[in-house]
Parts: sequence; structure tokens; C-alpha cells
Amino acid sequence: MGLGLLASRALRSSRLLTSPSPRFSFLRPIVSTPELQNPEAAQAQPEAPPPADLPKRAPVAGARVHFTNPEDAIEVFVDGYPVKIPKGFTVLQACEVAGVDIPRFCYHSRLSIAGNCRMCLVEVEKSPKPVASCAMPALPGMKIKTDTPIAKKAREGVMEFLLMNHPLDCPICDQGGECDLQDQSMAFGSDRGRFTEMKRSVVDKNLGPLVKTVMTRCIQCTRCVRFATEVAGVQDLGMLGRGSGEEIGTYVEKLMTSELSGNVIDICPVGALTSKPFAFKARNWELKGTESIDVTDAVGSNIRIDSRGPEIMRILPRLNEDINEEWISDKTRFFYDGLKRQRLNDPMIRGSDGRFKAVSWRDALAVIAEVIHQVKPEEIVGVAGKLSDAESMMVLKDFLNRMGSNNVWCEGNGMHPNADLRSGYLLNSGISGLEKADAFLLVGTQPRVEAAMVNARIRKTVRATEAKVGYIGPPTDLNYDHQHLGTTTQTLKEIAENRHPFCSTLSNAKNPSIIVGAGIFERGDKDAIFAAIETIAKNCKAIRPDWNGLNVLLLNAAQAAALDLGLVPESQNCIESAKFLYLMGADDVSLEKLPSDAFVVYQGHHGDRGVYRANVILPASAFTEKEGTYENTEGCAQQTLPAVPTVGDARDDWKIIRALSEVAGARLPYDTVSGVRSRIRVVAPNLLRVDEREAATFSSSLVKPEIKQEMSSEPFGSAVENFYMTDSITRASKIMAQCSAMLLKK
Amino acid sequence: MSFTLRSVKVAPNSASLEEARIRVFDFFRSACRSIPTIMDIYNLDDVVTPSQLRASIASQIRKNCHITNPKVIDMLLFKGIEELNNVVEHAKQRHHIIGQYVVGSGGLVQDVGTKDQANSNFLKNFYETNYF
Ligand code: SF4
Ligand code: FES
Repeated sequence: MGLGLLASRALRSSRLLTSPSPRFSFLRPIVSTPELQNPEAAQAQPEAPPPADLPKRAPVAGARVHFTNPEDAIEVFVDGYPVKIPKGFTVLQACEVAGVDIPRFCYHSRLSIAGNCRMCLVEVEKSPKPVASCAMPALPGMKIKTDTPIAKKAREGVMEFLLMNHPLDCPICDQGGECDLQDQSMAFGSDRGRFTEMKRSVVDKNLGPLVKTVMTRCIQCTRCVRFATEVAGVQDLGMLGRGSGEEIGTYVEKLMTSELSGNVIDICPVGALTSKPFAFKARNWELKGTESIDVTDAVGSNIRIDSRGPEIMRILPRLNEDINEEWISDKTRFFYDGLKRQRLNDPMIRGSDGRFKAVSWRDALAVIAEVIHQVKPEEIVGVAGKLSDAESMMVLKDFLNRMGSNNVWCEGNGMHPNADLRSGYLLNSGISGLEKADAFLLVGTQPRVEAAMVNARIRKTVRATEAKVGYIGPPTDLNYDHQHLGTTTQTLKEIAENRHPFCSTLSNAKNPSIIVGAGIFERGDKDAIFAAIETIAKNCKAIRPDWNGLNVLLLNAAQAAALDLGLVPESQNCIESAKFLYLMGADDVSLEKLPSDAFVVYQGHHGDRGVYRANVILPASAFTEKEGTYENTEGCAQQTLPAVPTVGDARDDWKIIRALSEVAGARLPYDTVSGVRSRIRVVAPNLLRVDEREAATFSSSLVKPEIKQEMSSEPFGSAVENFYMTDSITRASKIMAQCSAMLLKK
Repeated sequence: MSFTLRSVKVAPNSASLEEARIRVFDFFRSACRSIPTIMDIYNLDDVVTPSQLRASIASQIRKNCHITNPKVIDMLLFKGIEELNNVVEHAKQRHHIIGQYVVGSGGLVQDVGTKDQANSNFLKNFYETNYF
């Protein structure tokens, strides 16, 4: 927040103001700066003419101003320094452009303005009293002063009022060390208190298993209320009472049932809302932050993994305007305890009695190599799990190809995925691009549970532009206004044939956006459904050179990269005829049809569903322990970084397969990650352009073969049954289990 | 520091490399002399022989044979004396001795077969650790 800078500036100038007069020391009034007792006098002091060349100031946090219309630029003066800002900026934003960070509690750039904490008071020339800069629009020629005695006194006074009812909890408060109130009272507060009465206390509210409340600490900034109503779209939180009886709470005894509720922990400037699982676990200055990527869904939210030693203590969002803004879903934030449970830490072989026995890597690989040579090449099948990184999928495919098999795919992509055209499986308009859309058609997808951050974008768009949303699928709870058009492909057909009332909404829209759920990949009539959707897209002109509104919303982190790398099975019923099945972290493939004499190798980090049928277990590292490339649903490749060491005797996924290939006598030609990456460069160079979105090239459906399939009348299903438990890590997590028990209760 | 030797003063610095060298030999001798006691108090007869322990002590000393600065040698010597005292005073437990001086850094699984000979460096490293 640049508070350090603020503090140092405040300290420096107050030192200048305080005349050291030891004689006064015992008579000194509460106000720390004696001159401030007489603000009028201070104001009346003749102003020093501004120095001719003010040092150039950089905007706070490197912010850049974007002028939509050059005529709208106005000029204001912040501390005598002229800045150009667009019309409609507030005084606070103007100060930020000028490089002055104004202290604030209630203002948050992504929420509406409340203007109730009064911390952001600044002095504006010709205004009779200090103004709350966050709520005051900047006017041309305004002379804003942020550093005057009046502004300082105002801040000191506000601080004193805020601290009046704030408990002296810092030593036992989880927010300690990253608390806005703590920082700002150091920078702007009075150096002594004169409060002798009793502090008020407020009953704590139960907001569920994720958010811990200590409501006495609340300073009534209402950020959490605004977040819940505006971003999360739940009306659970509110303000009750007035004056000193003011409290934040749920109106009735109720849990907070939002998939984004964890974000109130971040936006609460004090320790009133903190993380329940993290409570009293660590202090934030002992933690090591690692910038990484979330893999629990296909959004690829940017996260920071805070670890202490070998243990992950918490996960926080990282700012990425194009993907997750500054929020993350509750699953992303709280699944980390699953990384400590049910871990596989030794290679194991199932003995004749059906029990696993720990063996050495040498023996495990030797056994697998022996078996793989006894089966026919077409009986070898490999499945990559939903958490696999691109490197390991590349190596898996190369290895199976060397063994003569091409039956390798990634779970969730179905048995006959369309991997030829990238536009056929990506969110083509991009996550941030969804904000431009003015009509949505959701087909067989419930973004709220499949990709909570994408859903937040849609909600943001709907709120900002009143975009219309049509939804086809099982009844669901989307947190914005939508029309439920139907549950079966019948509705889709009607829209495709222009017989449905929603068609006019779509064709009147400038940027219509059709979002198709990846759950459809598993349906038999997938091609027919996609053909119908393409017809709709053509009818409403959703695919143009400047706008591609035909979007596929993927479910898993591995899916996009798997399709880019061409993990497509050769035969559709290879599972039925498999004799050797290599599961690379795949837990959700249905193994019922697998012949009972098939040999199953499970390589992964959790003892989850895949292990039940496995003959050999190879322990691998989880995404927090390795460096891996993941491509999110909009086609943006991102990398995870190792935050903690691997558990037990585990190895990185690609290394295991590379080692196995050598033992099996089909040695793969790379020994390092960069070697694997240069192999990826040949297949899918976009995966190496990290943090860049590689949009699909403009596609016309001309190249597609004619589809003769008919859509079945089977209704659309929901792809994600339980938002909190979608993969092996989240299924092992106790917090996620609590959430699904308490929050999904119907 | 050890309990019996607590009263003993720290010897002054060695004046020369030669003096340090002599001190090291003295230390080695005293360590060798205490081997029977160590075998006795830690019950090591069934896991190790005196000559193995002697070799282990020698290798600990030889690990630092490249050091020529008498001050550093003095420091290492001091640490060695302290360690020896701790061992002799039974300030350690049996598994400490076994772990450090009997099994050593090689680990329990001494895989020194010839089967790895044909393997690539990658595979050799892979069997050792995940970090290479
Ligand atoms: S709980 Fe936190 S975010 Fe909510 S009003 Fe209180 S201080 Fe603000
Ligand atoms: S930040 Fe302006 S009133 Fe709270």
C-alpha cells in the first residue's frame, strides 16, 4: 500500500514541526504536534512558494491513467504538483496519480464508495473543512493539500475515534503485521490515548467454517458488506444498528454461503474477519511467499502460497487483472490442508494378499518395465489426471508412443475430443473479455461451481451493463439475473432454428457470448451439440474478426494443455481392452469396464480413488512442490513454482516417466526440464510463452466436416456435483469436507 | 561442554601448523583410547567393531585434511573434543552413535551392486533424490 512511504513522510514532516521544548514535556497536551492545536494559525502561515521544479513523482503502485477522451482531461494540483486526470476521478484517485497515497479504510477500488471511515480527509483550498477524498469528485483547478496540519489533525482525530472502540488485541490478533489499522495508527495516529472509559464489545458472528469473526475489532468500514452484495452477489452480510450500536452481521443466524466468501478476509482492513483454518497458526512475517498458480479449476487463478518450512500455511490471491482480478474462490484459498493428508510417500507394490508393500524405486520401476513388455502395444493405455502439468503430459505421451501405443488422454476431455482447432476448446473471448459482452448464453454449464472467478466476471458484466443471461441446463443458483431457458437439447435446437424468444436478445446484442460447459465433452452427442451451437453463433454473428463469442469453459487445469499437446486417444474403447493402464494422477476415470487382469500403475500424490485399483503406486509431487506449466481455459500458459519440498520419497511426475522409460528400454531423449520444454516447443510453442494469453486463431467453421449426429434428448447434467471437492487434493481436505457438509446442505 | 572437562581451560591457540598437527594426533589417540568405553556404554558390540569405529573417527578427521589454517584447525579440534566428551559422558543415545558413526552418511541401504552401471546419470540421480 505504500504505507511505509507514507509513514516515513509523515514522520519526517512531523519532526520538522515539533519544536523540541523539554520544559513542556510534562505539560504537553495529548495532541502530539503542539502547533496543531491551533489549526487556523497553522493555516494562516504564509505558504512558501512551491519550489520551481518539483521532483517528478511516480503514481502509486505504478498506476497508469487511461484517457478515453482527451477532452475530458482536467488538471488539479496535489501538494502544488499539477496532474492531469480524466473527468470523474475522485480526489483520492487524483492524489494516487500524483504519487500520494492517501490513508483509507473504507475505500476499495473494486467496490462502491461508502465514504464512512473519514480516514481519507484532505484539505482542499477554499473548502471550509477537510473533505473525504474518496467520495469527492475532483474538479478542474482544485488545489488539494495532503500534507497540511489540518489534514494531519483530521487524520489523527479519526484515528483516535476509530481506536476508541478497537480492542488492544494486536498481540493475539491474526491480522497483526498486515493490519491497515495498525500501520496507519503508527503513521498517522496520536502517540498517546486519552480514553479512559470502557470499550464496547460486540458478539461474534458465526459465518461458517472459513471466516472467523472477532466483531469487537470491526471498524464499520462496510467493505465486507459491499463485497458480499456487489462482487459475491449474496445478501448475507449487512449493517445493523446505529451509532455505537452499529454491528456487522448476518441479519438472521446464518452462514455465509458464497463461493467467494474468503475474500472478505483480505479486504477487511482490521482483524475482524480472519481465516478460521489459519487462526493462530503463524505470524505473517514468518511466512515465505511463493508466487504460483491455482490448479483446482481451469481458471488458473494467480495465488501466493505462504509456507513455513515444509508446511503450507495459507494461500492468498495475487493480482491479475485478466484472470482473477484480486479475488480467489474459497476452494482455492482453503484446500491446502488437503496437501498434508492422504499423501503417497513411497513406491508401493500390491502383494498377492491385496496389501501394498513399500518398495524401492528401483524395484517398482523394474516391475512396471517387465509388465509393460508383456502386453501388446495397443493394450497400453495412459490417462493424465486433471492436475497434471504440461511437461509431464508431454513426457507421458512420448513414452507411450515409444511403447507403440497412442491411447493417451486427459480425463475430462472425453474420448473423442476436438483437439484440432484451438478455438474449439478455449474461452475465446478471454476472461476479461467477457466484460465486453452484452448477452450471454450458458449451455450446460454452471460457471458458479465450475469456475467461480469466471462467474464473478459474468456477474460484474451483468451488474455493469445489464447484460442478459440465458441458461440451458439443470436448475441452478446463479447469483445474477438470468432466464432459465430449458434443461434439454430441445431448447438448444429451438434457438439454433431461430424459434426461441431468446434469439432476438442474442441477435440484437453487439457482442453476444455463448459459453459452453466442458461437461458436454463427455456426452455421446457432443459433435451435434457443438454443431448446433455453431449455428447459433453464426446466426447472432458471435464470431467476427474483432470478437469471438463462442466460448468453451473448461473444468480442469490440465485440459487445455492436454488438448494443445494432442493427448487424444486412438481408439474410443481402449479402456475395455486395456491390459496395462497408466494413471498419471487420474482419479475420475471410470474403471468399471477395465478387464480384471489389467495391470494398473497409479502415479500421483494422493491416495484417492485411483489407488483402489492400482497394482503399483508411484509417489509424485503435488503442484506446490514442482515447477510445472498449466494452461488455463482462456489459453494463457502459467507456471507454478515449488513452495515446499516434496513429501517422502516422491519425485516429479515427468522425472518418474523419464526414469521408467529408461528402465523399460525406451529411453526418452531429455534429462532436464528445459529438455522437456524444448520438446514442447515443437508440439505446442504457446505453452512456453508464460503469462501470455495465446488466443486461438480466427476460425471459420468451413473446415469442419459435416456432422450427421443427432442430439439426444438427454437433459444436460451438472459437471461439478460438489464445488468444494473436485479433485484428489480437495477430497483429502478436511476444511473442504466441512464446507460441503455445512454449506451445501439443502 | 562436557561435565568433567568443564574446568579444563581452553588451550591457547596453536602457534604453528606443526603444533596444530600434533594436537590433532593427540586428540585422535584420546578418541581411540575411549573406544572401548564407548562400545561398552552404548552397547555397540553387536553392530560394530573397534577398528570400524577407529576408521570412522579417522575419516571424520581426514574430511578436513585440506585445512591449513591453524586457527581453523583449533576450532575444529575444539568441536571434536566437545563431541568426544559428549559421547563419553553418555550425553547421547545409542541411535545417535549408530546413525553418525556406524551407518554414516551412506544411509542404511547400501546399494553398491553392479546393476546401476549401465544406467544414465539421470537414472542414478533419480534413485537418489528428487532434487538434481
Ligand atoms: S468486518 Fe472488517 S470489512 Fe467488515 S465492516 Fe468491519 S472492519 Fe470493515
Ligand atoms: S476512505 Fe474515504 S471515507 Fe473511508
